[in-house]
Amino acid sequence: MEFLATIVILTCTNALLAAGIVILYKAGRTVNLAHGELAIVGGYVFYSASLSGSDPSLPFAIAGALAYSICMGVFIYVSMMRRLVGEPFYVAILVTVGIAIVLKSAIIVIWKAERLTIDFGVAPAVYFSGGATLSYMDITGVVLTIAFFVALFLFFQFTRLGVQFRGTAENALLASQRGVNVNFVLSLAWVIAIGAATMSGVFFGARAFLSTDAVMIGLAGLTAALVGGLDSLRGAIAGAFIVAAAQYLTVRLIDPVLSEAVPFLILLAVMSIRPWGLFGTMEELDRV
Amino acid sequence: MQGIFRRSLGTAAVAIMLSATAASAQDSYPIGYITDLSGPLAGSYTPTWEGFELYMKSLNDRGGINGRKVDIVLDDDGLKADRAVANAKKQAERDNVLGIFGLSLSSTQAPVYAEMRKIGVPVVSTFSGILDTLPPAKPFSYSTGVVFEVAGEVVGELIRNIRPGGKVVGVTIDSVGGRAAIAHNKRMAQSLGYTWDEVIFPVTTTDFTPFAQTIAEKKPDIVVGHYGAGHNLGVIPALRRSGYNGPYVVASYGASEETVKQAARRAGKGENIFFVTRYASIFDENPAIAEVTAAQKKYGTSKPFSSMHVTGWALGKFAAEALRACGWPCTREKLDQALQTLKVDAKGLTGGAIEMSPGNGYGPSYWKLYGWNEKENKMEPKSDWLKKTDLKFSVQ
Repeated sequence: MEFLATIVILTCTNALLAAGIVILYKAGRTVNLAHGELAIVGGYVFYSASLSGSDPSLPFAIAGALAYSICMGVFIYVSMMRRLVGEPFYVAILVTVGIAIVLKSAIIVIWKAERLTIDFGVAPAVYFSGGATLSYMDITGVVLTIAFFVALFLFFQFTRLGVQFRGTAENALLASQRGVNVNFVLSLAWVIAIGAATMSGVFFGARAFLSTDAVMIGLAGLTAALVGGLDSLRGAIAGAFIVAAAQYLTVRLIDPVLSEAVPFLILLAVMSIRPWGLFGTMEELDRV
Repeated sequence: MQGIFRRSLGTAAVAIMLSATAASAQDSYPIGYITDLSGPLAGSYTPTWEGFELYMKSLNDRGGINGRKVDIVLDDDGLKADRAVANAKKQAERDNVLGIFGLSLSSTQAPVYAEMRKIGVPVVSTFSGILDTLPPAKPFSYSTGVVFEVAGEVVGELIRNIRPGGKVVGVTIDSVGGRAAIAHNKRMAQSLGYTWDEVIFPVTTTDFTPFAQTIAEKKPDIVVGHYGAGHNLGVIPALRRSGYNGPYVVASYGASEETVKQAARRAGKGENIFFVTRYASIFDENPAIAEVTAAQKKYGTSKPFSSMHVTGWALGKFAAEALRACGWPCTREKLDQALQTLKVDAKGLTGGAIEMSPGNGYGPSYWKLYGWNEKENKMEPKSDWLKKTDLKFSVQ
């Protein structure tokens, strides 16, 4: 039971990251290599915002994280990505590498590379036989991840904006000609993606700690997205589960030292058999 | 005519300023300090630098060494070996420092020692140390810090104060230093009758829960963590979540009271967390710690006051005594000569003197086990100072 709970929690962290990567790819064909940095900076903002009052405040923290997701999402799209329309796709990838470097520097400059932990809801909520526990934050993380994916499904299927989003993903030029505000839709994609990444960063900060090294969680998210298929949200969940289970089982059953390598071995295997991922769409593949 | 007068006056003013600067440079002891102030371990290295700076500030305010102040050239290596080497070369060639102090992670130290050896600049590391300084030490190489192999053996001995036998699980990251520490910890523990098991996880590990469950499943009587401060913050709460509530020993490689306090808070319980350190806790009551505390209150620090400041202060004291022994005018050669036989009274900051000898750039070191007192929110000594003179087991 304990092992299953751990895999589910790890899956949720990976799935939130992978979902953001998938949304950005679907919307603008951008492979975001700054997702780990966006997630961890989101965690730092959550932490700092919580200290806005005299005592640590969860509402302040949530408000800060929301403001960060919206401002950062709009800023990245308006100031950078919008200007790359018509450029080769690898230019956008390189820009995200630049964003990653800037964000990592921000952690050093603003937070002095301090290792910070998010201490909301870390008290045990569920006890397993043998003394293992799950915290309130762990449970919140699982519940909110499920809620996020359900909301995303409902948004895409049943809202006018969701349909416009899908239309933009399908063919931005055509959508634009049909009156869809493509800039708004693509900004929204960045906001949603960064919002999901921030949630992931916060849950991660509550389980481990925020640091410049923690941006490595982005790799797990990217691997999950690639394994599942870069244009499939369903694939993001499947990929997240595969990566989490592979890491967990490698630690427990094979050799902990190999745990970071195994997901990449799976990625290589999937890419060599199905380059578009397990649930992705087979389309013309670009090579950098 | 007026123009010529003005130009001459300007030239004279510049000449006076330049000669004043030169005189000021000649009248002080220029030394270099390199550490990680912006990289992944800046949180651990910054307090050490601040402790060093505290000592030098108070020394200079008291008039310096025989009336001459100590000028520190500070550079940040960001935990990168190439930057550390570039900084060292810059300090040696442009800033004309007499010696270089501090340094960051062990992986950045070897190339700095090697480069400075070529041009005869003595280097004294603290925080972590490498085998270059142990007998037979390489020329110009000194350390007042923590050598992994030494720390591994010391932890193996000091855990007897927690319980005399049982199963020890050593945990480390997959790094040269971590593996060295755990190898010596293992051999020392086994020689003292403990059984041993170990878990090594990748350097890039971000979520520690699966590893903690693996550790807990081994049913340890004591768990020892050989890594920096950050990993303890991840591993201790994960271990408690995994059902292991037994003794956990933080081997101090940059960890401090703050690390233990933060980990205890995250774990929800601070019992059974121990701490092995070369330098005293700020909770110790003695004149040496009182002096550091007073300086911290007077000058302030950006990081929470901890034993890492004590570590830096001890290096500051060591550096000052080396410069004093070097005399005036001091040269790199004379400083190196002074360092080779330097003995500095560090009682209170650690268990005894920091003492170098020809061919031994590390000397005897003193180590102590502390335990976290959850109720009083402080460290308490759990052992006397343990003096370590030589490695008991050969380096593999």
